[in-house]
Amino acid sequence: MGKTVDLLPGTLDMLILKAVSLKPLHGYGVLLRIRQISGEALEIPQGSLYPALYRLEHHDLITAEWAQSENNRRAKYYTLTAAGRRRLREETAGWNRLACAIAAALNTTPEEL
Amino acid sequence: MRRRRDFEYNMAQELRFHIERYAEDLVRSGVSPEEASRRARIEFGGVNTVKGECREARGLQFLDELSRELRYAARLLRKTPGFTVTALLTTAVCLGANLAVFAVIDSILLRPLPFPRANRLVTLFNTYPKAGVERDGSSITNYYERRGQIPAFGSLSIYRYGTATLGEPGFTEREQITRVSPEFFSTLGVGPAMGRTFTEAETTYETNSVALLTDACWRQQYSADPHVIGKQIRVDGLPVTVIGVLPPAFRFLSSEARIYFPLASHPQDRIPLQRHSGGNVTQMIARLRPGATLAQAQSQIDAQNAVLEVDDPEARMMADAGFRTMVVPLHADHVAAVRPTLLLLQAGVLALLLIGAVNLVNLLLIRAGSRVKELAVRQALGASRGHVISETLVETMLLTLAGGLLGVVVAAGGIRLLSILGTDSLPLASGITFNARMAMVAIAASAALGIVLAAPIAWFNIRGHLANALQSIARGGTGSHAAQRLRHSFIVAQIALAFILLSGAGLLGLSLKRAMAVSPGFRPDHILTGQISLPFKNYPDEAARLAFTEKLIRRIDAQPGVVAAGVASNVPLSGKSGKSAVKVKGRLARPGESPRALYSYWVGGDYFTALGFTLREGRFLTAADSRSAERVCAVDEDFARYYFPDGNALGKHLFLGSNEGSDAEAFAIVGVVGNVKQAGLTDDTAQGAVYYPYAFRTDNDVFVAVRTAFPPQSLESALQRIVRQIDPDLPVNDIQSMEARISDSLTTRRSPALLAGLFSAIALLLTAIGTYGVLSYAVAQRRREIGLRMALGAQPAQIRSQFLSLAFRLLACGMLLGFAGAWAAGRAMGTVLYHVPALDLSILAGAAGVMCFVSLAACLVPSQRAARISPMESLAEE
Repeated sequence: MGKTVDLLPGTLDMLILKAVSLKPLHGYGVLLRIRQISGEALEIPQGSLYPALYRLEHHDLITAEWAQSENNRRAKYYTLTAAGRRRLREETAGWNRLACAIAAALNTTPEEL
Repeated sequence: MRRRRDFEYNMAQELRFHIERYAEDLVRSGVSPEEASRRARIEFGGVNTVKGECREARGLQFLDELSRELRYAARLLRKTPGFTVTALLTTAVCLGANLAVFAVIDSILLRPLPFPRANRLVTLFNTYPKAGVERDGSSITNYYERRGQIPAFGSLSIYRYGTATLGEPGFTEREQITRVSPEFFSTLGVGPAMGRTFTEAETTYETNSVALLTDACWRQQYSADPHVIGKQIRVDGLPVTVIGVLPPAFRFLSSEARIYFPLASHPQDRIPLQRHSGGNVTQMIARLRPGATLAQAQSQIDAQNAVLEVDDPEARMMADAGFRTMVVPLHADHVAAVRPTLLLLQAGVLALLLIGAVNLVNLLLIRAGSRVKELAVRQALGASRGHVISETLVETMLLTLAGGLLGVVVAAGGIRLLSILGTDSLPLASGITFNARMAMVAIAASAALGIVLAAPIAWFNIRGHLANALQSIARGGTGSHAAQRLRHSFIVAQIALAFILLSGAGLLGLSLKRAMAVSPGFRPDHILTGQISLPFKNYPDEAARLAFTEKLIRRIDAQPGVVAAGVASNVPLSGKSGKSAVKVKGRLARPGESPRALYSYWVGGDYFTALGFTLREGRFLTAADSRSAERVCAVDEDFARYYFPDGNALGKHLFLGSNEGSDAEAFAIVGVVGNVKQAGLTDDTAQGAVYYPYAFRTDNDVFVAVRTAFPPQSLESALQRIVRQIDPDLPVNDIQSMEARISDSLTTRRSPALLAGLFSAIALLLTAIGTYGVLSYAVAQRRREIGLRMALGAQPAQIRSQFLSLAFRLLACGMLLGFAGAWAAGRAMGTVLYHVPALDLSILAGAAGVMCFVSLAACLVPSQRAARISPMESLAEE
């Protein structure tokens, strides 16, 4: 667990969108996928996942439908909508700009001034 | 609701799936199943919290909150049934009364006439104010001279109400009909549902045998025959061809006409000499051209009249009579007479609503006062302001919406009551119903009332009084002074409003009393009257009509109990005016004197005896005068005084019409009779009347008047039977006793007075409840203080007088305001009052007395209760 980091506020939605953009997933799957694609570094608090999913669904960024899960049980699968795809693109670009800017700021050396 | 259940079910499923999958993964990693399930649950967190957050994320939290608050409010209301019932009834009565009156106002004043762009329709009429003729309709000549000539009008038409006998011999019915010029329907913007409307070619007496049926007539009399067009029907015994059927919704103003005919005229009816012969039977409507204004139309009409005047032989006389043609909006004109009374009623009933609302606010404030502690504690524990506001709003809305629902029931009853009181006979009254539009108004009004009531309560509830309230409760002190002042000023407002209503009702009542005390000028008891129309086909001339009336009177006289019977072209208070000009032989008009239109009656049989006229000079006209060729007449006192101020009217001569004719055409005055009220008991202007023998009558309508020794109604069927015996085709219309006619003529005074009385009674009751509630609360709130004072030696009488003097102060302030309001209201009511000043001392004194009695009675019980407080108990309470 030592290698997990805390989630920055506001990034959970982005990660959920990314996770379901790869493949339709149920809630538990989203949790596993985020852990997997972050190299086991990001641990989502289980309780906050579902309100986030419901909020995204309410804003029509993802849709859900019931289907058979891999072990033959009924599960609710989330898919990205067109609006969700757009949002993911914007947030990714925004995040990259922010990350670049912060990295650049943090890498500044006295000589560069 | 189903969707909501599905949502909850699915959410639970989804969360369970998650926990189970996680537990399975834990088992797979080597944890025991029990331990896995426990850990999965713990790591997931509180399921209910997550569910709550999910609901909130879906925007469902609001509904949950609302239904919780609704349940809470309902529980609170159930716990205080006295308050709840009072509040519900107050809302129901006040809203219901307003809705009922508004339904009438809406139908008559607000809803546009049922024609496209109805606000562009106008009516035109000639007026001769200086001759005493305010309104004379329009003449055929006016129509032919104006149509197409006034640029502001896109279309112009005339119409004439009438009656006709329809049906085959033996099965005839007298029906309302309307004769119209060809543009009538296109002016209104209405086309036929079937067939066509009238053409220009159908406006002569040779070609006018065509008819348009209304939808009701077509369905009821012709069983909705789809092939009715082209069929022949019998009208006044003559064949007429049906050319069309009007659409179902068509109704012109308040007309009851079932069939429309073309308005035919002779060429000699259309000549300039006939320009001023409107006689109020023919009316004109027009539609303003797009973009044209009423003022433009008026000035164009004025300009045309000025041009036509140049070669009009009567121009001088008409100018003396103040002749002008008025252009006025059709709808406003049609309802002008009832508008002030209706607005007055709405104002009265709004005042009632205001009183009721003030009462509710006071009761709610008192209620909120008793919950100060609870709310303060809850706010201290974290209840948000928004929460408190929405709770207050939900509670008052629940009350007002439920009250509004009851109010709808009250309104439905109110509309029935109003129709009994005579709204049915008002113009455009057929639309008075409780419809969807009224339901919308009811809901909107209830919701608005809820919001208005909630505002002060919410303010009271959230005002930063947390610490204050907790402290003051702990001290058992007097609570908030601001709230007390608010309650007291509400009581003052309530007393003032109730006072205004009461004095307004008093003014209307006194007007009615004074109107009822007016003598009609004849003895109206034991008289039966009825109207008969003699069709021209069977009664073409005076001789034929005279033969009919002679036979009729002879047979009526033979009935048991008949004292005297007569006929007349019109009877007083019939609603028909029947005026015409008279020229006194040899008399020159005084300078500036305008020609006067006089009430003209053609009487036969013992008309004067039957009606109980008084004789001033000479003799009455009798049955013999109609049989003789001698031209005689009787005049009334007003006439005699005006034309013969020296008092020697007998033996003088006069001519029918405004010009002097040959001596052979002159009527000699043989009698002067007392004045009678012609148009209504409250019509005070002296007009003058002339009575001619029936033999000289040229029109075909005749009234029969019979004085009996028995109740007049007992003669009704005998009258019908006698007329049918003489001519099976003739029905008798409008059979009424003279007393009923007088009573009907007072409906427009009686009903508003009754309603105003009812409103003030409710207002008094509400004020009493309000005063009682507020004072009781004041006493309850100050128990501790009173107990303390009594323990220190205060006498019960002192305590009692302290509360009574508070009541007196509130009453005095309220009445002072009420006086001012009553004066303003009295002035606003000027047009509907009769012989009553805007400020009548006896009425003010009476209203003040009633107000004092009611409010002091309401104060007595709480004051008494205060005086009986036991010091020991009240101090031991907390």
